Amino acid sequence: MLRKKNIQSLPESEVIALAKKQSRYFGVLYDRYFDQIFRFVFKKLGGQEDLAGDITQQAFMKAMANIEKYEDRGLPFSSWLYRIAQNEVLMYFRKAKKNFVVAIDENKVIDLAGEANISCSMSMDDQEKLIEMLNKLNEDQVELIELRFFQELSFKEIADIYNITEANAKMRTYRILERIGKTWNKEK
Amino acid sequence: MRKFILNKDKKESNPTPEQIKRQKDFSRLHHDYEKLTKRGKKPLYQDPKLFMLLLIIGILLLLVFLENKE
Repeated sequence: MLRKKNIQSLPESEVIALAKKQSRYFGVLYDRYFDQIFRFVFKKLGGQEDLAGDITQQAFMKAMANIEKYEDRGLPFSSWLYRIAQNEVLMYFRKAKKNFVVAIDENKVIDLAGEANISCSMSMDDQEKLIEMLNKLNEDQVELIELRFFQELSFKEIADIYNITEANAKMRTYRILERIGKTWNKEK
Repeated sequence: MRKFILNKDKKESNPTPEQIKRQKDFSRLHHDYEKLTKRGKKPLYQDPKLFMLLLIIGILLLLVFLENKE
């Protein structure tokens, strides 16, 4: 039998192979990735701790149940977990009949405005107006903007989650930003 | 669905280490997983094939016993 300390020092692919054979070895992967997945879900839910905890557990439960189907295609294991967690959150939003309010920091809105070629000296009203525009985007567009600017993931990480190339992730994000910029300038 | 608003109250958007620690519990996850995947054995009366097999074996043993008695 392998000791937990020994398993933790094993390369990820070997830990995954062990977890495929026995569910208790999944604990090493859980320990490794829980914090970042919980942080991701927590931010998506606007800081609801218990709900974020339940959804994160549910996501890990699905990962544990489907680990046999997991294939290493050169993408980080975390991107697979992010994808499951993202689906779990979306499913929850569809089921829940209430609206979730997610508060966005000023600096993140300013970063977004800068990337969308909107003036960087934004008043509070301007920032609120920009957020209103985000609220009108469709689900897929919001997801991309959120991952990049509010979850602060790199284009490489976003690409891994969607299983697309980094260039494609960049292009999709900048297309949305371009649209936001154009709408902003039209309305101003 | 979700609605974004501006964080005017400067509320922390990241969870604290205490919040993470509170929610991180692999033993609970493992227990729930085991409960979900490892189903209990079917009772005998709900498995007609096994019930019939045991009944036939029982009748055969009884017949052998009665035959020997005679």
